[in-house]
Amino acid sequence: MQDRLLPYWLLIPAFIIVLATTIYPLAYSFITSFREWDLTKSRRPGDFVGFDNYIYAASESAFLNSLWVTFIFVITSVILTVILAMALALLLRRKGPMHTFTRIILILPFAMSPALIGVSYRFMFNPEFGVLAQGLGAVFPALQGVPWLADPDLAMAILVLTDVWHWTPYMTFMCLGGLASIPRETEEAARIDGASNLRIVFGIILPQMRGVILVMAVLKTIFALKMFDQVVTLTGGGPGTSTETLAYFIFNVGFRWFDMGYASALAWILTAIMMFISIWYVRMLLSERKMTTA
Amino acid sequence: MAEVRLVDIEKKYGSFLAVSKQSLTIHDGEFLVLLGPSGCGKTTTMRMIAGLEDITSGDIMIKGERINDKPPKDRDIAMVFQNYGLYPHMTVRQNIEYPLKLRGVKRGERKTRVQETADKVELGALLDRRPSELSGGQRQRVALARAIVRTPSIFLMDEPLSNLDAKLRVTMRAELKHLHHELGVTTVYVTHDQMEAMTLASRVAVMREGKIVQLDTPKKIYAEPADLFVAGFIGSPSMNLIDGSVKGGVFRADGVEIPVPLEDRSGVVLGIRPEELDISQGPNAPINGKLYALELTGESTLVTLRNGPTSVCARGHADFEADINSPCHLTPKDGARFHLFDRASGERLG
Ligand SMILES: Nc1ncnc2c1ncn2[C@@H]1O[C@H](COP(=O)(O)OP(=O)(O)OP(=O)(O)O)[C@@H](O)[C@H]1O
Ligand SMILES: [Mg+2]
Repeated sequence: MQDRLLPYWLLIPAFIIVLATTIYPLAYSFITSFREWDLTKSRRPGDFVGFDNYIYAASESAFLNSLWVTFIFVITSVILTVILAMALALLLRRKGPMHTFTRIILILPFAMSPALIGVSYRFMFNPEFGVLAQGLGAVFPALQGVPWLADPDLAMAILVLTDVWHWTPYMTFMCLGGLASIPRETEEAARIDGASNLRIVFGIILPQMRGVILVMAVLKTIFALKMFDQVVTLTGGGPGTSTETLAYFIFNVGFRWFDMGYASALAWILTAIMMFISIWYVRMLLSERKMTTA
Repeated sequence: MAEVRLVDIEKKYGSFLAVSKQSLTIHDGEFLVLLGPSGCGKTTTMRMIAGLEDITSGDIMIKGERINDKPPKDRDIAMVFQNYGLYPHMTVRQNIEYPLKLRGVKRGERKTRVQETADKVELGALLDRRPSELSGGQRQRVALARAIVRTPSIFLMDEPLSNLDAKLRVTMRAELKHLHHELGVTTVYVTHDQMEAMTLASRVAVMREGKIVQLDTPKKIYAEPADLFVAGFIGSPSMNLIDGSVKGGVFRADGVEIPVPLEDRSGVVLGIRPEELDISQGPNAPINGKLYALELTGESTLVTLRNGPTSVCARGHADFEADINSPCHLTPKDGARFHLFDRASGERLG
């Protein structure tokens, strides 16, 4: 009797910790999102206001701007990362010392902390002493003295660049794994049947990578939606609000303006978006399974 | 229509020698079978002809032209892969159609040719399935159909029938033979089923450990195996190989005494095919022992006799019956062929 119950007793600490550190705050923030709570006025949550926080969000231009910024950031960084990773993986798929070496150094960008990436790119694009800014200016004279991070579009482009730079290696490894699981004969058969290299990639390899690409795109989307560190250290959301992503906006609402109710509501909107994407992804994956096995 | 010539081709994987300096000419319109045990280099040889594997040294000529550096698609070949290599994201129809599409065949003609080919390999009803929804044998037939839908100048087939059931295998074998007769396309066919080799081949190349040990017509290989390995490999049930020695013009082993035209020597192997032995009554037969096993195969009974280390199998009448462990005697038929080999080297002695 005792022995049978022992495993459950042993699980209780873990259970309590998870409950206290994730489930409780989640539930608490959900409840808070329906209340008014200005931390500068009171340390206790205020009255329930129904859906007011959510309704307010729908009409607040700062929030709508952050949604738009996030959308642009997510779309460009996901597409660029997936395409680049796939292309790199196709190049690195063959065996050879050069390939192995490249694979190894490819880990470095991913090993770097995102906050640090933001700081270092901020320096590198400094128009006066930044390595990249100077280098680009030297190669393309037209780019001399361009105020990279002071221009809204360029700042966004650089933000995307840092993210792509950070994530491409990891996604490349995912692609390499996927490529390794494609039977060699399918490609060889196509080669004999008379397909060109381009056709083999687009007609034979990529269709078989569908599942892997889907997983990558969804993972990358979720990571991009959460991206926060680089905004803080690279652009601070600026110039103006041109790189103020949803995650950064929520942080500001909560911890600059201390509007806890509204920040909670916004956080749940972000969560809902991610949940929606995840569910869609699981569905796609299940239908994919049905197609390739049986 | 093409002649394929392999000149001293060699393939090494690192330091492992998969195919060693082989030369082989496959005549225009010939059906050449590569036969050999698992791992002897059959697939490797075929992949080199297809251009899927680099040649370590040597030359491959098709129609007299050296094609070592030509990509597979310019060699005008079609290949059936040992593990199918079907396109998993395409339906059966699309799989078969793909080579036609790539070669710019018009839509209308593609449709009829796919249908014809599919009917030939009995796939007509499965055209809209995906490979993952097919059995092994069905997949193999799709692979076969994909190869024969086009008329290339060379067919390369790597064990295309290995996963079919016995009945379908016989049907497909006949179909392939007919197809070859009809199209006259040079064909290289890999198998380790010697029955398939015998029935299909114009010539058989028996391979062992990366070397071709014998290259001959099926008849010749059956009647006159070049060495002990080929002798044991060709024929079903395989040739009896009896270890013994020759003294005074007589081959002797436990329970065996057969006159042979050979000088005195030990370490001799005498080979005789089961179908060339008769079951006899008298105790003065050349081969004597106790009955070890009886196996009815349908049209005949396989009778196995043992005496010490000697074990001999004969093909007897289907009605033959006797008690296990009862004395048993075998006599070679008139005109039976004895094959003599050296035990150590495996070489043929006579
Ligand atoms: N890519 C490779 N790397 C290293 N060794 C290999 C490779 N491919 C094949 N070999 C080796 O080469 C030898 C010949 O292989 P091959 O596939 O030609 O055999 P096979 O005659 O087709 O056998 P089977 O009847 O089992 O298909 C084998 O010993 C195999 O282990
Ligand atoms: Mg093989």
